[in-house]
Amino acid sequence: MPGVVAAGPPPILPKVSACDGDRRVPTAACSTPRKPPVSESSFLERNQFLIYRLFSLSGLIPVGAFLVVHLLTNASVLGGAASFQSRVDMIHSLGPLLVPVEVAFIFLPLAFHAAVGFLIVANGLPNVGSYPYVGNVRYTLQRVTGMIAAAFIVWHVLQLHWLGTPVGGGQFDPHYASSSAAVAIRPLWVTALYAVGVLSVVFHFANGLWTLGITWGIWTSPAAMRRANAVSVVVGLVLAAAGLGALGGLRTLDVDQARATERWMEEQREQRLPPSGETSTVQPTSTTGKGE
Amino acid sequence: MIKAAEHLDHESGNGHGQAPEVHPVRVRILRQDVAGGESYWERYEVPHEPNMNVISVLQKIAALARTRDGRRVAPVAWDCSCLEEVCGSCTMLINGRTRMACSALVDKLLAEDPVEIEIRPMSKFPVVRDLVVDRRRLFRSLERVKAWVPVDDSYDHGPGPRISPEQQQDAYPLAECISCGCCLEACPQFTKIELSRGDAESEADFEARRRQAFDANFVGPHAISQAMLFNAHPTGGMIADERLEALTSKGGIQMCGNAQNCVAVCPKRIPLTRSIARAGRAATVWAIKKLFDR
Ligand code: HEM
Ligand code: SF4
Ligand code: SF4
Ligand code: FES
Repeated sequence: MPGVVAAGPPPILPKVSACDGDRRVPTAACSTPRKPPVSESSFLERNQFLIYRLFSLSGLIPVGAFLVVHLLTNASVLGGAASFQSRVDMIHSLGPLLVPVEVAFIFLPLAFHAAVGFLIVANGLPNVGSYPYVGNVRYTLQRVTGMIAAAFIVWHVLQLHWLGTPVGGGQFDPHYASSSAAVAIRPLWVTALYAVGVLSVVFHFANGLWTLGITWGIWTSPAAMRRANAVSVVVGLVLAAAGLGALGGLRTLDVDQARATERWMEEQREQRLPPSGETSTVQPTSTTGKGE
Repeated sequence: MIKAAEHLDHESGNGHGQAPEVHPVRVRILRQDVAGGESYWERYEVPHEPNMNVISVLQKIAALARTRDGRRVAPVAWDCSCLEEVCGSCTMLINGRTRMACSALVDKLLAEDPVEIEIRPMSKFPVVRDLVVDRRRLFRSLERVKAWVPVDDSYDHGPGPRISPEQQQDAYPLAECISCGCCLEACPQFTKIELSRGDAESEADFEARRRQAFDANFVGPHAISQAMLFNAHPTGGMIADERLEALTSKGGIQMCGNAQNCVAVCPKRIPLTRSIARAGRAATVWAIKKLFDR
């Protein structure tokens, strides 16, 4: 096909008019509107592009940003019970604001992302069997890990967040952060489920970062996509290390010692001493709370 | 030249027995007698010849019009025209993968599966008969994004704007699209639309309903790429906004899930994912512009 202009489908006549070639079908821009023979589109259909872009954005901000902060915070348990506790105290220093912040910046955006995500999964037709290319495997994994993430997050929230108290969950005690979390994940099967959940979410986020860059047109050339891919892989590896590190840190935690540290920190708070940072320097016992 | 002549000699196979013993080519084809009808498999066997492609196998099957077990059947129907991967009409699922039948070489296919070659019609378009499918939606997508340069009068407007060699280099690969639909067939986000006319429905109403169904669903990578081709063209770019409007309406670029199968199967190696990302960028800018320029 020589020449640039000559490309495209030959059977179509160019039209400058706002009306489409086929006059039986009125279009919105057509100057002679006729009764449409078919149904009108809904609000969701008319704003599909916007909704999908908000979905994409929500994966990064706030949900993805929260994920990064969450995993890195958890990894601080590797620095000992006090270090994790002081971070948890910082989050809980929001007091009564914590719930609205959680709802507005985590739960609602996540629910939105998950709802649109399920819609996307339902409308796709994965075909890795016939086309086992890397990109296609990643496309499929993106959907599989999204669904695992949804199940995992619901379970995780019910198990640890106080919202789960009515169903026998809510095992995380913000005043006893490391010890209560360590007890909750101690059964091997729980740790194993956490490992699967964390790795799924991390893959989903890291791969999502890469596709997001294509969706928004941040990286466009194959070379730029390769570079962005390398960055996404590094992000994924760091987050996976942080997530698994936190699990390892909790499993090797000396729960009694951690609880002693946490009780001491709580007493300090109750005496209205400055929380977090400074307390740990004057702390009498081991600040690590870790086993020997 | 001598080589070619030898080939011909060899190929004519006039019983002089020197040709190495080759097994006949076994083929299984998914057939369908009428649109919307049941599909069924039939097996065939044709003599092997050097440099055969799937079209030449289909021609032999048509001439035989017999299944492997000797049953006389109606010849298999298929589409083809140019026989050199230019017209885009011979797309089929060959050994499970979408490709052009005219450039699918039998020996390579037998290397994939030495027992039998499997041929099916495309799965994302309604079957008309056997391997012939109705690819109207593919062309409708090109209409949706106005994949043309809008010059619709007979006045002499003088010479058009100049296009730099760099622009040409960038555009040329996109201009090679043959509208074969391989990218659509392999795209996990592009799913089949098959409608049938209701008893009380007029032909015009059915056509309108079909068009609405097409227009509400994914335009597909080929059309996104063509939109980028014509938006990059100085004259074609005069209606760039209309193309972006189409690409950001229902079934537009947002339906792409970045599986990148399209670019992997395109017989013309068109950088479709680059076009998709560029369209994504243009759509981002366009959406922001629309928000603030209103
Ligand atoms: C930890 C929570 C989650 C995070 C951080 C997250 C993050 C992301 C990001 C950044 C993207 C990329 C968007 C793009 O390509 O433009 C994405 C895509 C996606 N997410 Fe999530 N996500 C999460 C949970 C979920 C859940 C619960 C589902 C439910 C099934 C889900 C389903 C999807 C799907 C299907 C895609 C692919 C969309 C496409 O490429 O077309 N995600 N996610
Ligand atoms: S990159 Fe987009 S258009 Fe191409 S095959 Fe994947 S989902 Fe389809
Ligand atoms: S983009 Fe490639 S695969 Fe798609 S229709 Fe054009 S030539 Fe065929
Ligand atoms: S016959 Fe034209 S592309 Fe195969």
